[in-house]
Amino acid sequence: MTEVMFPALSKERPTAPGILVTWFVRDGERVAADQLLAEVQVDKVSVEVPAPAAGVIHLLVGEEAEVQQGTPIARIDG
Amino acid sequence: MTATAETHRLTTARAMVDGIAAEMERDESVIYLGEDVGAYGGIFGSSTGLLDRFGATRVIDTPISETAFIGLGIGAAVEGMRPIVELMFVDFFGVCMDQIYNHMAKISFESGGNVKVPMVLTTAVGGGYSDGAQHSQCLWGTFAHLPGMKVVVPSNPYDAKGLMISAIRDDGPVVYMFHKGVMGLAWMAKNQRAIDVVPDGEYTVPIGRARVARSGASVTVVTVSLSVHHVLDVADKLAGDGVDVEVIDLRSLVPLDRDAIVSSVRKTGRLVVVDEDYLSYGLSGEVVASVTDVDPSLLRAPVVRVAVPDVPIPYAHDLEYAVLPRHDRIEAAIRAVAAA
Amino acid sequence: MTVPTAPPPAESPAPDGGPEKIDAETRVDLYRTMVLARTFEEAMLREYHSDKGPGFDIGKGLVPGEMHLAAGQEPVAAGVCAHLTSDDAVTATHRPHHFAIAHGVDLRRMAAEIFGRETGLGRGRGGHMHLFDPDRHFSCSGIIAEGYPPALGQAFAFQRKGTDRIAVAVTGEGAANQGAFHESLNLAALWKLPVVFVVEDNDWGISVPRAASTSVPSNAVRAAAYDMPGERVEDNAVEAVYAAAGRAVARARAGDGPSLIEVHTLRLWGHFEGDAQGYRKDIEDVPGRDPLPTYERTLRDAGLLDDAGVEQIRASAAARVEDAVTFAKESPAPDPAGALRYVFATGSSGGAA
Repeated sequence: MTEVMFPALSKERPTAPGILVTWFVRDGERVAADQLLAEVQVDKVSVEVPAPAAGVIHLLVGEEAEVQQGTPIARIDG
Repeated sequence: MTATAETHRLTTARAMVDGIAAEMERDESVIYLGEDVGAYGGIFGSSTGLLDRFGATRVIDTPISETAFIGLGIGAAVEGMRPIVELMFVDFFGVCMDQIYNHMAKISFESGGNVKVPMVLTTAVGGGYSDGAQHSQCLWGTFAHLPGMKVVVPSNPYDAKGLMISAIRDDGPVVYMFHKGVMGLAWMAKNQRAIDVVPDGEYTVPIGRARVARSGASVTVVTVSLSVHHVLDVADKLAGDGVDVEVIDLRSLVPLDRDAIVSSVRKTGRLVVVDEDYLSYGLSGEVVASVTDVDPSLLRAPVVRVAVPDVPIPYAHDLEYAVLPRHDRIEAAIRAVAAA
Repeated sequence: MTVPTAPPPAESPAPDGGPEKIDAETRVDLYRTMVLARTFEEAMLREYHSDKGPGFDIGKGLVPGEMHLAAGQEPVAAGVCAHLTSDDAVTATHRPHHFAIAHGVDLRRMAAEIFGRETGLGRGRGGHMHLFDPDRHFSCSGIIAEGYPPALGQAFAFQRKGTDRIAVAVTGEGAANQGAFHESLNLAALWKLPVVFVVEDNDWGISVPRAASTSVPSNAVRAAAYDMPGERVEDNAVEAVYAAAGRAVARARAGDGPSLIEVHTLRLWGHFEGDAQGYRKDIEDVPGRDPLPTYERTLRDAGLLDDAGVEQIRASAAARVEDAVTFAKESPAPDPAGALRYVFATGSSGGAA
């Protein structure tokens, strides 16, 4: 099992909450390594989150949910 | 649609970049240059990730010198490269229009077809987020008015990628206008229609071909870009009231798919044009003429045009939304034409 | 912050030989190019005015429209283009004939374009301010200073291909006050593009003297603002142009970046044909400053030309120019049914490189 983390996006404000903007995959979908999973955002900065491993993905947070930087947003069962 | 192994859900911005990357992979003469297109990735996400993938010799930040770097693109294209040059906001065309309309667009003609300018000019258009009168315009009517440039305006991820690949492969200049509101940017209002399933490989969307975004029988709505999304929203709502709206997404303004407009109006007899550019002397009038030039009797009711009344785009949110073609004005127009 | 280094002094030693090193054959070639360009302009003058009457109707005749002739400015084109090959690019101005000729653009197709014929460089769609010859990488623009930016792109493409090809960008002194001029110098210097910027200072922006338009006595000093060498050549001296261009071209070919050369040249005739030049205070002195007889005397004094030599060069030029004019006149006019052609490139290929 691999956890997908919300990246540490803001050097200025590491404890600021981020937003899970968009999931590009559905819960339970099989994903490839490096596949685009989500776009996340802190303030005006957004980044894409690629899959750290291949497997079946289980989403832990919904779109537009507030998430702490550095915490898990999904789990991939290989 | 669910993503499969051969497709992925992408934002429009990401799909546009996918198209660029596919061509950069295939053809090393393709380069991307403009302001903040490198490390920043384009302020509207038009080149995100390209620098890491292709390096600074092919994804090039320029000085704030639009005349010089657009002209540079022209010269490079004349010598056989296929540059994609970004004008950050279309509103900035005032500082560089000579290179665009007197050079890029006219060299093929002036040379009797002996010189080709295979170049793409990308530019961000549109308002809706209080960026004021100098950063919110669409202005596609201005570019489409001037001969020698093809003009494409994708509204969704699939077309964004396919039209980009077509534009890069075209042997003449193509102006590729992306509305900030269709890009699926995290820092703008959420827009579900800005995310869709896109094939992974290369494919083209033909330039000059409109798309029936929704088929219907009561009223034809001809529109483009972000307004396609608003019209589709309104059409879904009106379906419950028995108004069956056909939505034509023009996708290309030059060449304009007049046949698609006429054949839809031939079916419905009623026409609404929704255009985020200025009302007068522009796209909306051109669409109407496309019908009346062929056969005015196709229209069973007067046409209504929903566009920006001839006023600069206001800053204050409520003022801006009063002049943009938003859902309320679109709905009223369609209801009026359907009832007439 | 990077502190810009001072540009090399204007009087830097000539790597490829100064005027004193120029060989006899080159000197006669410079003269030959100047004579050919002048002969062409004289023929255009004759043809242009042959059927504008009664009175003067600009839209009438075999050669209609505006006509900007470059008589007097031949030293600039001859001196610069002597260093170029047909693989190098030149972007010229609304007054382009001398540069086109010096860069080897086909005389027949050029004349045919000026006569608006289907056999012309642009099949009659361009006209005398819009001459495009892809075989010589030659183009010109009718918009002041706007020929500079495309030259950057040609130079960029040459640089990318790993060649030592260069681009020459030409404007007049009036254009040096345009934004495109300054943007182009900055970008070319920043990216070390192989460009030679040439400014033809003929003293006049139509009717406005340079003193009334330009804040500096020499546009060459403006090069320093962009950290590139700048030189001004006085007296319309073709061999000094040749020497300065030699330095600039060598620098560009070596990958050391752009240079700027301003030449104080001479507009022998009006801004355009039909210009009475009533504003021109220097009009009395103009014929005496004609560079062609001046250079001819220089070569005669050096023993490189005699009556027979001059006659041979003139006759050869006249024969070529009259052949081109005849070709133009005998060529078909474009069919009006084709007026909409060539707006868009046909086809889509991709992968051109």
